Amino acid sequence: MRRIEPKEAHVKPLPTPDSDSQAYWQGLKDGRLLLQHCTGCGHVQFYQQSICRQCGSEALEHRAASGRGVVHSFSVVHRAPGPAFKQDTPYAVLLVELAEGPRMISSLVGGDPMAVQFDMAVELVCEPINDQVVLPRFRPAGR
Amino acid sequence: MANRVSGAIARQRSIRGQVAIVGAGRSEVGRVPDKSVMALASQAAKAALADAGIKRSQIDGVLTSSAFAAPFHRFSVAFSEYFGIVPTFSNTLQVSGATAATMFNIAAAAIAGGLAENVLVLGADSLLTGLSPDLALRSMTESRDQQYEMPFGIPVANTFAMTAHRHMKEFGTTAEQFAKVAVIHREHAMRTPGAQMTTPITVDDVLNSGWVTTPYHKLDCSLISDGAVAFVVSAADRAGACRAKPIYILGGGECYTHEHIFLMPSLTTTGAVQSSAKAYAMAGCSPQEIDVAGVYDCFTGTVIMMLEDLGFCPKGEGGRFVDDRQITYGGSIPCNTHGGLLSYAHPGMPGSLLHFLEVVQQLRGECGPRQVAGAELGLVHSLGAGFATQATTILGTEATL
Repeated sequence: MRRIEPKEAHVKPLPTPDSDSQAYWQGLKDGRLLLQHCTGCGHVQFYQQSICRQCGSEALEHRAASGRGVVHSFSVVHRAPGPAFKQDTPYAVLLVELAEGPRMISSLVGGDPMAVQFDMAVELVCEPINDQVVLPRFRPAGR
Repeated sequence: MANRVSGAIARQRSIRGQVAIVGAGRSEVGRVPDKSVMALASQAAKAALADAGIKRSQIDGVLTSSAFAAPFHRFSVAFSEYFGIVPTFSNTLQVSGATAATMFNIAAAAIAGGLAENVLVLGADSLLTGLSPDLALRSMTESRDQQYEMPFGIPVANTFAMTAHRHMKEFGTTAEQFAKVAVIHREHAMRTPGAQMTTPITVDDVLNSGWVTTPYHKLDCSLISDGAVAFVVSAADRAGACRAKPIYILGGGECYTHEHIFLMPSLTTTGAVQSSAKAYAMAGCSPQEIDVAGVYDCFTGTVIMMLEDLGFCPKGEGGRFVDDRQITYGGSIPCNTHGGLLSYAHPGMPGSLLHFLEVVQQLRGECGPRQVAGAELGLVHSLGAGFATQATTILGTEATL
């Protein structure tokens, strides 16, 4: 089990791409949210991995998502999970259901977190965090 | 045909009645600033051994959870060294909050399979005084996935909050009904010696306690505590030689539906349906026959959802079931009579072992003013990681064998 040191607790955790997810994180740097489509059974999956979770096939292609989705559920964080996120509260963590079917975790930008509703339409915003990482966030659609 | 044959074998290969909990004990619990995790663990283990009336040298199996405040890779092995024993069967298990129940399943299987005779089941941690609050919270966030969840600042509370939120939308469950869960748990804790929180609270107190992560307020959330709990599990045919009244394991079931919250098949119906169905089938009983329950209560809404998935009330009715006070004395299923994680204590992984301790003591008839009269059949449900891990255990007295 890994212990978090006090210094680390003040730094926001960022993704470390691996061989499965490299294309996904590169896609975001190019402004695209990539989903995996199985050419065998048609299953569409988030996140990127070496096999289709539905049929086990390795015949998978990356395709860019429309970036549109709806809020399946959400929770507005008032008490941050550690000091790294304290200055961001309140912020809305979203469980977005993408138009293509898969769900993903993200957070809201460009809107009042306390105004988020179930089934609210949202759209992708690719937000650069540093030179290496772009995070997929969502804003209220049609603005 | 093949399925029928393997099904028959599976039924035959049951842990039902093969082992008994013959000793149970805990350390000081709550705020315990002057004791290390290992000191707490030793205190609990000594209490369990004394309760069973067996010697340290008779323990040949050790199963533990891991500890945030004593981050050994092999906690069970490190503990054995500290406690001065050399077990010939040991492991450190990790399926988050469900680990508690899985330790009993594995202990039962190990004893039935001849791998060990007397297994010490142990959990210990020091989340309140062994870690700063920031580090305790951040440590729990680290249990979420580093690529697809953590970067968005998602506390583990958030995963449970999103399920509860969705339950409100789908079934009309209310914030007041969530709050009622906290109120009843506090009533229970007030009767339990050693409980961390014993000041009475009202529904309004919960609703005015400030947001943590919507729809949860501070008093919808469980505590952060120190403490350790231990049990001795032995073969049923040797249980008579022990001092305490044996409590038998009648059924166990587990289910793991997802890792990431975004791959949870339904936010409002969980793997507890499958884990409990398996446990009931093995025990040969129905939810309505259970006399007393320990239901994982990391958040108020968690209890409401589990009451449904464990079969104590129909899907969507959990809020009304709590409103009708069905989860306390005089109701259809008294739950968490010690006060639970919400009001008794939540030392992390050992938290659910406190539910086991309470149900064992209820079935032994040792609970004094909080005794559920005539309790013979009990259930404990442990879960963790935003409902990713689920484990149900059914326990009973000799009369239920």
